[in-house]
Amino acid sequence: MIQWFNYIATLKILIFGLLLGAVLPTLFGVGVRLNAEGAGVAVHSGAVAHRNPILLALSWVIFALVLAAVIVGVLFIARDFIGHHTGLYILGAKHK
Amino acid sequence: MDLQLFLLIIVVVTALAFDFTNGFHDTGNAMATSIASGALKPRVAVGLSAVLNVVGAFLSTAVAATIAKGIIDSHLVSLELVFAGLVGGIVWNLMTWLLGIPSSSAHALIGGIVGAMIAAVGGHGVIWRGLVSSVVVPAVLSPVIAGLVAAICTWLVYRVTRGVSKERTNAGFRYGQIGSASLVSLAHGTNDAQKTMGVIFLALIAYGAASSRAGVPPIWVIFSCALAIALGTYLGGWRVIRTLGKGLVEIESPQGMAAESASAVIILLSSHFGYALSTTHVATGSILGSGVGRPGAEVRWGVAGRMAAAWLITLPSAGIVGAITYFIVHGIGGYAGICIGFALLVAVATAVYLRSRRAPVNPNNVNDEWDGSLTGGLNAPEKVAATVPAGPASHDAVPEERPQP
Repeated sequence: MIQWFNYIATLKILIFGLLLGAVLPTLFGVGVRLNAEGAGVAVHSGAVAHRNPILLALSWVIFALVLAAVIVGVLFIARDFIGHHTGLYILGAKHK
Repeated sequence: MDLQLFLLIIVVVTALAFDFTNGFHDTGNAMATSIASGALKPRVAVGLSAVLNVVGAFLSTAVAATIAKGIIDSHLVSLELVFAGLVGGIVWNLMTWLLGIPSSSAHALIGGIVGAMIAAVGGHGVIWRGLVSSVVVPAVLSPVIAGLVAAICTWLVYRVTRGVSKERTNAGFRYGQIGSASLVSLAHGTNDAQKTMGVIFLALIAYGAASSRAGVPPIWVIFSCALAIALGTYLGGWRVIRTLGKGLVEIESPQGMAAESASAVIILLSSHFGYALSTTHVATGSILGSGVGRPGAEVRWGVAGRMAAAWLITLPSAGIVGAITYFIVHGIGGYAGICIGFALLVAVATAVYLRSRRAPVNPNNVNDEWDGSLTGGLNAPEKVAATVPAGPASHDAVPEERPQP
């Protein structure tokens, strides 16, 4: 039976949406900030800015993480297609 | 050539035409924010979006066979009915495009088909519970959820980058924005190109050219649908892009990224959980949310309200056009009926196109200052005020003009 209103799906979309849709861009934002601080661009007004390789490296790690998440996302969309054509069933693709 | 084959050809052509309008109507969902914030040049943005739509159309082989699944009684579907439904969808898409209103192509199509179904057999051909639970409820919820996610995301992003110079954040978020907008384009290809494939597939089954047990539509169907939607996307629905990018809120790169990320995530999640929804509603909700979440941003609620009103009447309006088209095509019957129906569609499309030329929106002026209405701030030789939709049911598609405020 079709229900009038699917509470479960709605809640799931909201929760996962917040986790992925809000946390990933925020992480990216943190990366942008660390990158700016690491590169020695004045962040706090008046503070003396120095290059900081550790922050710089950390920012690139974060960018890599976000990129990896996006790639997983694309593979997730394409999972049935990939499974159908290559036989590699990843990320919960359905066997047909 | 027998009548059924002729009908089938007309239906396929009309379906591709719908796919085309779907493409240019929805370019803005993915690319409006990137164009408005200057992250991408307008032409580059629509080109990228077109390519990703093609890729997306091929990526998903999960044929959710019919868009109307669970909404109408599929045993009662005829080619005339599908044609009438498509006409309803196309006419509504063109009208809303003319007014620069981002409205749901999926709703227009569903509305058209439901209207045609009611005209054909009456209300019992429609599964009302399915219509409410899988079309109406998601339409109300999805913009709210997307807006909430985008608002929280925008607020967080501005919070963590507080104090960083503007050039620095814009440079960084430009990439994030392009990436997230690309994801939305891809998701759009997998969703919307699929809908038209489903319609053509349905027509082929009704004609007997395809088996209802076949899992994948013929390859030419996938090809032509991908091409039609990409062509439409590349043409760029500049009017809709302008409203989404400039009309609702003034968009900066970080906001654009937040909005597109929220859109991409919500669209993908809901298709994963089997909740069909409109890409347009999600994108609009996200963009509004990104305006709410950014401290000090101005949100033009009036524009948003006009959109919401258009969303409310999308289903019934497209339905009325679909029903009238069905009466015309079926009432006259035979070759004459379908030819007259098709000719009327071409006439409406031409009228809308000619009307749009009076105040064109194109890549050169798409980002001009927003001044009260869609074409208000443009240096068009003849300024056209915001127009109100005429009775969308009428085939006389030119909306009447409202005096300039």
